[in-house]
Amino acid sequence: MSIDIRDVNKKFGTFEALRNVSLTVPSGELVALLGPSGSGKTTLLRIIAGLESPDGGKIHFSGEDATNLHVRERQVGFVFQHYALFRHLTVFDNVAFGLNVKPRKERPAKGAIREKVLELLRLVQLEQLADRYPSQLSGGQRQRVALARALAVEPKVLLLDEPFGALDAKVRLELRRWLRRLHDEIHVTSVFVTHDQEEALEVADRIVVMNEGRVEQMGTPEEVYDNPASPFVYNFLGNVNLFHGRIDGGEARIDNISIEVPDFGSGDNIPAVAYVRPYDIEIYRSRRNHEDIESVVRHIQGAGAVARLELERLDTRELIDAELTRERYRELALRVGEAVYIRPRNLRVFAGGDYQI
Amino acid sequence: MHLPGRKNRDSTAFAGRGMTEPALVRWFLIASALAFLALFLFVPLAAVFSQALEKGWDAYIEAIREPDALTAIKLTVVTAAIAVPLNLVFGVSAAWAIAKFKFRGKSFLITLIDLPFSVSPVISGLIYVLLFGLQGWLGPWLQEHNVKIIFAVPGIVLATIFVTFPFVARELIPLMEAQGKDEEEAATVLGASGLQTFFRVTLPNVRWGIIYGVILCNARAMGEFGAVSVVSGHIRGSTNTVPLHVEILYNEYNYAAAFAVASLLALLALVTLAVKSVAEWKMRKEA
Repeated sequence: MSIDIRDVNKKFGTFEALRNVSLTVPSGELVALLGPSGSGKTTLLRIIAGLESPDGGKIHFSGEDATNLHVRERQVGFVFQHYALFRHLTVFDNVAFGLNVKPRKERPAKGAIREKVLELLRLVQLEQLADRYPSQLSGGQRQRVALARALAVEPKVLLLDEPFGALDAKVRLELRRWLRRLHDEIHVTSVFVTHDQEEALEVADRIVVMNEGRVEQMGTPEEVYDNPASPFVYNFLGNVNLFHGRIDGGEARIDNISIEVPDFGSGDNIPAVAYVRPYDIEIYRSRRNHEDIESVVRHIQGAGAVARLELERLDTRELIDAELTRERYRELALRVGEAVYIRPRNLRVFAGGDYQI
Repeated sequence: MHLPGRKNRDSTAFAGRGMTEPALVRWFLIASALAFLALFLFVPLAAVFSQALEKGWDAYIEAIREPDALTAIKLTVVTAAIAVPLNLVFGVSAAWAIAKFKFRGKSFLITLIDLPFSVSPVISGLIYVLLFGLQGWLGPWLQEHNVKIIFAVPGIVLATIFVTFPFVARELIPLMEAQGKDEEEAATVLGASGLQTFFRVTLPNVRWGIIYGVILCNARAMGEFGAVSVVSGHIRGSTNTVPLHVEILYNEYNYAAAFAVASLLALLALVTLAVKSVAEWKMRKEA
């Protein structure tokens, strides 16, 4: 089932949680709503579920207007951030809840419910824990029970609010891969909320980046990461370095580097900021031309697949983060305090001042 | 000598000791708490039972089986049997509304619920006399229709309901607020109706809190003196509850009988304490 969100607005008092949000979730896809806290992503998820009602705008499920449909009738599965398992029920009864509360006409027979619950517990690998209570489970296990419980009613849409937020790093990594595999198996249209860009990039088919109640960008992980549409998206997806300059007649001058920017052809003397990823900072021991920026190595973190360096520009005293491959790092054999020349590549220029998250 | 190993040991021992008070202080605190408890709880309790049994078991049984005493016991049980279930319903509904919904006048409602705690029970009783008494606002009308409230059982029940109103609600509101709305929302998304959510999720989650509230409410309903005393009229064998009966016996210098009946209330207190401890323990376990 596809989800269409059209011009949705939501205010809490004077706080605008959502401002004219429109987006489409294609049927069968796994979509991430990514943004910092307060960006409106959870509010949007709750509006899709029907737990909040929008002040304006429409929600369509498979083309049909679901805006005024009650939560109960929306046939969505919702996995809460803190799981919200029923503490007085066993794992089995938690998963069976959605089936047990169906009106008698629609309710499956006891045996059928039992079979369905056990099948779901097998799917989330928790069959042996059917008789336990939620308080006897680990965080990751609770999360899987919550998922099985949501899937028991065969929802048309699965909505997950920060599904891995409350778990420790290792379990989180395992569980998100597991969720990806599970989605590949059952193919239910799914939307999950996260503030963790790595999580969104790894798991989702499509990412919706949100900020201050607006959608900043939508696209596949590659599109969003490689072609950020705004300084915010650039900042939010990974580390960046900022270089300041000006745009004159379609040409940006960032330090001594000139870049063609045809989009800004008309204006003169526009302040501009260029964004550069740390792995796009080249480091040399000697000056090659006037474009190089003289810097000093301030800190080296050499463990791991890439070496992370903190450099300080000699002219502006600004700090620059750089990442080198192991080979390049060994070749250069840098030490803290040494002078080097750096050269940013793949600069992405935006007009305007600084953008801070 | 300054061995590094020894220095380490000393410093850890010091850190451990730094967390608690010296033994002397600890013993003094524990001993004074126990002495206080003995003086104000165990000694009176023992006194009640020893006084009650002063003239032997036969006199004890006789004091309780005496018709006026039996009537008082019956009235007390009937009053509690009406007041406690009603306050259970009021308390659960009020707590549910306050903890799970947002509405105007919520803090005013909380203040109202607390009112019986802040008003002296005697005043509570007097308010009923002013309302329903012969000289009261509704008195003439009630008399015309031959309805007796003051100096009769309905007045006792009303006063008891008023005085014991906050117990269940006060116990449940913080518990329900702490539990939040997540589980209710989860139930709704799974297709449960409002009633199903209430009976399958909200209520089971607070069951020990309810037992706790009910047992306290019951203890107060059976033991209430002030408010009931004002509205009852102390008609022996008719509108006397157990506490009022104890007072009458005591004022008649019938100490053994007074303490015998009082020992029933003391037993109620002990049972209440025991059930309350179990409920508290269960609540902590499930929190």
